[in-house]
Amino acid sequence: MSFLSVKQLHKSYGSTMIFQDIEFSAKQGELVTLLGPSGCGKSTLLRCLAGLTPVNGGRILLDGQDIAALSPQKRGIAMVFQSYALFPNMTVAQNVAFGLKMQKVDRQTLIRRTAEAVELVELKGFEGRYPHQLSGGQCQRVALARSLVTRPRLLLLDEPLSALDARIRRHLREQIRSLQQELNLTTLFVTHDQEEALTMSDRIVLMQEGRIVQSGDAETLYTAPATLFAAGFMGNYNILDAAQASALLGHNFGQQVAIRPESIRINASEGPSAEIIGHTLLGNVIRYRVRTMGIELLVDVLNHDASALRTRGTHVTLGIDLSAAREVA
Amino acid sequence: MSNASRSVSLYHRLVVWLLFLILLLPLAATLLYSLATQWSATLLPSGLTLKWYAALWSDSRFLIAFGHSLVVCVGALLLAIFLVLPLMFVIAYHFPRLDALMNVLILLPFAVPPVVSSVGLLQLYAGGPLPLIGTPWILIGCYFTIALPFMYRAISNNLQALNVHDLMDAAHLLGASTFRAALLVVLPNLRKGLMVALFLSFSFLIGEFVFANILVGARYETLQVYLYNMRNGSGHFTSALVISYFLVVLIVTWAASGLSRDKS
Amino acid sequence: MKGKWLATLCLLPFLIFFCAFQIAPLIWIAVNSLKSLDGWGLGNFSEILGSPFYRQAMRFSLEISVWSSVLGLLIAVLGSYSLRQVDSRLRDFVTAFANMTSNFAGVPLAFAFIILLGFNGCLTLLLKQAGLIEDFNLYSKNGLILIYTYFQIPLGVLLLYPAFDALREDWREAASLLGASTWHFWRHIGLPVLTPALLGTFIILLANALGAYATVYALTTGNFNVVPVRIAALVSGDIFLDPNLASALAMLLVILMTVITFTHQWLLRRSYHVKR
Repeated sequence: MSFLSVKQLHKSYGSTMIFQDIEFSAKQGELVTLLGPSGCGKSTLLRCLAGLTPVNGGRILLDGQDIAALSPQKRGIAMVFQSYALFPNMTVAQNVAFGLKMQKVDRQTLIRRTAEAVELVELKGFEGRYPHQLSGGQCQRVALARSLVTRPRLLLLDEPLSALDARIRRHLREQIRSLQQELNLTTLFVTHDQEEALTMSDRIVLMQEGRIVQSGDAETLYTAPATLFAAGFMGNYNILDAAQASALLGHNFGQQVAIRPESIRINASEGPSAEIIGHTLLGNVIRYRVRTMGIELLVDVLNHDASALRTRGTHVTLGIDLSAAREVA
Repeated sequence: MSNASRSVSLYHRLVVWLLFLILLLPLAATLLYSLATQWSATLLPSGLTLKWYAALWSDSRFLIAFGHSLVVCVGALLLAIFLVLPLMFVIAYHFPRLDALMNVLILLPFAVPPVVSSVGLLQLYAGGPLPLIGTPWILIGCYFTIALPFMYRAISNNLQALNVHDLMDAAHLLGASTFRAALLVVLPNLRKGLMVALFLSFSFLIGEFVFANILVGARYETLQVYLYNMRNGSGHFTSALVISYFLVVLIVTWAASGLSRDKS
Repeated sequence: MKGKWLATLCLLPFLIFFCAFQIAPLIWIAVNSLKSLDGWGLGNFSEILGSPFYRQAMRFSLEISVWSSVLGLLIAVLGSYSLRQVDSRLRDFVTAFANMTSNFAGVPLAFAFIILLGFNGCLTLLLKQAGLIEDFNLYSKNGLILIYTYFQIPLGVLLLYPAFDALREDWREAASLLGASTWHFWRHIGLPVLTPALLGTFIILLANALGAYATVYALTTGNFNVVPVRIAALVSGDIFLDPNLASALAMLLVILMTVITFTHQWLLRRSYHVKR
């Protein structure tokens, strides 16, 4: 039984379609990521779920209740904005307490729950600060505390990490995930970053131009992209046309084929021979560019020994398992 | 520092001091005149006194005129707040496209000098259903239009820096109605900008003469009209009046700049 | 939708007041400028343009406005550029002072100038004793240009000071590394960058001077022949009143101001903006 289920949702401005036929669901306590390039409609979809933007049709079932017609105040949904949207005239504590104040919670409870929420995001001692006195990461944590304090049924996160630098982003990502699991809070997370999506989600909903392209768990989306777009978005897939793939793999393909760079070996005992034409160091991985039969391929190899680096012009033998190749539409 | 750059910096200091002196000169002369026992056909006054200020501040006609000016200016500014704040919020939140129209409309008070507006106002409100000529009400209305461009610009800059939409959305999701969200979240953030705009508007509204003289005149004498009507009296007395007026302006603009520095 | 209705309702009070005190008088003028004793038509306008008296008023208005704007702009350019180069304490002080003196106009200014430069003004006497001038008449066209220039200076400084933001110090450094002299820098970079701001400021000053009434009225008790004085005399003078003729004269001024304002807006849009 799914806790959130979205059915046949569609939205357009005049004749401009923003998204249509949106169907997905989330179980209680799941973190579902809406992934897609900017302009694919994922942020608007999130705003529609929150009730900030009206939809043209479809149903949003939350805990068995259709909330599509409710005002945002009555949905019991919290949202963390990309811009944080902290109230600049209020301190951290006042920001966090705002939702409780609107619910007319009594004073004792308000103080206690505010303190709890502030502690939850590790901001104890910052209660009296104003947003402009905080760093970006701290602001985002205040925004998170402010959304959690009202104990929402559903938490929406709109690219909450995109304005932060890489190190803080990684740290905050883990913090959000563990908080979400701890509180067993059903969460929708919008991002355009596939790495973020893969590391955080129970399930990923991949969107393109207002439609859902593929949805499933992270593993499936990464290893079994359904379309060319999914393959391109989820990793640095090598995309070969049917003829190239047939020649390279000795098997008859009817469609384009996607092969992940890490599923190709360059030290096979037999297979097509290739020439190294360049490499990029990605830290723990070396990404080679190789040419074979007039096709350029990317090959990822674990970087365990500096002396093992193949220089430009070296000839190698490629090993490609047929099972690693995926036909995509 | 080389010789050349030293002389360049000396030049700039000189220009700035000269600018200051030019701006200061009429004020300084007036100040000296207001403190002089007598000063005619000589370079410097013959003695100094505060008697002109004493005479001025015990003149009931002056105090009444000053009161009139305060009533009209404060009234106009209150009216402006009452009219402009809801307007600006609604434009920022609901009708952002109206902003372009407003930016044209607020040019009108600037493009149409008071002397021109007065021609129409005199005929429209001399009698008929709204006989406002000769009353402070017409000044409150007119001063609202003068203050409008400044208020609008100041608040508009503030609003743009605020990201009203996200703040309102966040407040809505946390359970606030639109009215409460506007009151608790948006308005407090506009307070300082609004205060600066109010102080600055006040400092030039209290110096307004054209509307006051043509539309109302002696029937509700304001500070500037009183000053003009005293032109045939003692120059020392009017100088004391000018300096007193300027002191008020000084205090108000000083407060405004203090507020705006505070902000950053 | 209920929200939109309420929102529209919020616009209403503003619209009513703005119409009553800004739009309605303007419309009244526009309509009545076309009405004269002989009925509807352009009679008022041809009367004004045919009368040497009104033509003189327009000439004086333009001369005083243009000259005071040019002089005011010149002083403001030199002043505000130097203001940027001096230490911050002096700069803040003089800027704040200019800010305050921008309110020093109209009746108080006229009185101050009478004390300073009237027939028995202290500066007049000083300059006479030094033998620098024979005589000086504050109540003449040149006197008015002087007093107008005075109230243009602070306005010009306040408008131009931020415009120098557009002139970044690293451009000058870049130019000098490329071999440009100070003169070359101003000729090829400084002036072109500042031109829209300079023109824009000039236009505001011009509009400011054209509409100015209080100063000249207080100085000459309405005896100097410029357009605003003529307009006021036709509606509130004591000799002869002709609101329709006043409307026509006012319309001419409004048309001029409109052209000026739109030119200014156009220039603003063209000026260089520096991202902060």
